[in-house]
Amino acid sequence: MGTKLRIAVIIALQTLALLSMIAMRQWTLNTGTHVILETAPIDPRSLFSGDYVRLNYKISNIRVGEVSGDREFKRHDCVYVLLKEGDPYWQPVSVHHNKPTVPPGHVAIKGDVNYVNDFFWNQETQKSEKVKHINIRYGIESYFVPEGEGRALERPKEGEKITILVAVDRYGNAGIKSLLVNGKDRYTESLF
Amino acid sequence: MRNDRFLKRLKKEMPLWVELGWVKDEGQKAILDHVASQGEGGARYLTMAFSILGVALLGAGIITFFAANWSAMSKLSKLGVLFGSMWTAYITAYYLIEERGYPYLGQAILLLGVVLFGSNIMLIAQIYHIDAHYPNGVLIWSLGGLLVAYLMGSQPAMVASSGLAILWTSMESFGFESAFHWPFLMLWAVSLPIIVWLQWKHAVHVALAGLLIWSWQSFMHLTLYTDWAKGSALYLMQIYFAVYLGLFVLGMVMDTYKELEPLSSIVRRYGAFAALASFHSLTYPNLSAGARRPSYLKWGQALLGLVSVLLLVNIFASATSGGFMAILFNLIFFAGLVWLIYAGMHGEDRGIVNMAFFFFAVTALARYFDTFWSLMNRSFFFMAGGALLIGGGYYMEKQRRRITQKIMESRKAGGEYGN
Repeated sequence: MGTKLRIAVIIALQTLALLSMIAMRQWTLNTGTHVILETAPIDPRSLFSGDYVRLNYKISNIRVGEVSGDREFKRHDCVYVLLKEGDPYWQPVSVHHNKPTVPPGHVAIKGDVNYVNDFFWNQETQKSEKVKHINIRYGIESYFVPEGEGRALERPKEGEKITILVAVDRYGNAGIKSLLVNGKDRYTESLF
Repeated sequence: MRNDRFLKRLKKEMPLWVELGWVKDEGQKAILDHVASQGEGGARYLTMAFSILGVALLGAGIITFFAANWSAMSKLSKLGVLFGSMWTAYITAYYLIEERGYPYLGQAILLLGVVLFGSNIMLIAQIYHIDAHYPNGVLIWSLGGLLVAYLMGSQPAMVASSGLAILWTSMESFGFESAFHWPFLMLWAVSLPIIVWLQWKHAVHVALAGLLIWSWQSFMHLTLYTDWAKGSALYLMQIYFAVYLGLFVLGMVMDTYKELEPLSSIVRRYGAFAALASFHSLTYPNLSAGARRPSYLKWGQALLGLVSVLLLVNIFASATSGGFMAILFNLIFFAGLVWLIYAGMHGEDRGIVNMAFFFFAVTALARYFDTFWSLMNRSFFFMAGGALLIGGGYYMEKQRRRITQKIMESRKAGGEYGN
């Protein structure tokens, strides 16, 4: 194999690897079921590193006693959370180790157990509650925004509500489709 | 640099060699001129070092420039810049190596291509908000470097790839608590053939350092986070010591092969360092302060010690002592089988018990044949053998059934056998 061909193979394979990253994400966004998720109040200690927003969803913390499905979980377990369509926010109904059958009006989103805890810090009441819950990461916790705009999202103005439109594909992979402020698109994802 | 020292020494020695008649006067000048003309070793090294440093700075510059101006660009422009810069680096490397005859600068630009491939992974993940299992990004980057190393015979790319592999396994071990991260060994094994084939010394350093870092991480995870290895740090460290000693011996063996000799001293040094470090750990008394172990394990340790001694003795034993050694091996083998049956009972493992009985029967039969075949009358040999087989087989099968039955009963009762 000549040097020219070798360089061509390197360029082709590395480009293919990068394009497949984009294609997989785009496939999720284009074919996935659209789900609106409520963001939980942002932990005041959480940091905005430069231009990206760390998102915390209501479905990030699931109280095991309040949903059906499997009971025992440990850190880094792969789990599927069955979400039921709501008005407007989708709500968790069960958590499973294996992908469950998805009834109409539902979607199964895949995540990774971040931690399991017997105590839950309630942001709204500012009290610790003795309730078993699991914290799950879905791979939609970071959202990069134009420089300087992260802070505005961190501290929404009075009456502003930030929600996220997520696409969940048939394998449970999720991708952020839009960031909504008071139900209106602020940022929408497109291929280019 | 080394060439300068060599030339200086030659200049010092040469008058004596001329005086002794070993070298003629005109030969002296020719030799010194020749060595002086070879004095580009340092320059080559410097070219490579400066080029690689330049690549690092250029890569950092490109990434920070675009990061600072990111929001002003459309997605398509961003992708154009990312792919364009990577393609340009590889095409420039080709041009420098093939068309202009600058192999060292070309290698450095190839490394820039690998750096840009990695930054592209990160930036595409940022553009498309991909927040998945992040060590995968480092793995893909490492594979990209490996591809360049294999196809272009690039040692800098291999060094980068091996370094990234270390980063990847560290992320998996610490970020995701993967106790024994086997996939690293697969990647390591894939990178090894070209390192050995092309005798890349820098790459072998990084590969061996990676292996030691991986083994240390595995040790820490096994002893700290897994239930089965808690309290077994001492035994695990002994195994590690034996493996590292094996690495040191491998380095010595490599010394005897012409093709492997250039890398042997590096392997020896890493092996010696790791073996000494692990043996040093064994000298701490608190390492052995672990969980209380059942007594049968002590017998196992004694047997292990005996086997080790026997194996060592066998290395130095002369060829004529084979028969005596065989007797010792037989004795220890049967003792080991009895121990294994007991260990199987204790661990409620029917498979182990059955396996031990099988080997016991096979070995006993083999010894009967090779011991009595020539000593006994054939008909008597077969009759006695038959009787022994029937009687012994019946007895062994009875014992085996009794033990496996006990194990099953114990399992049903949910209890532990043999405590």
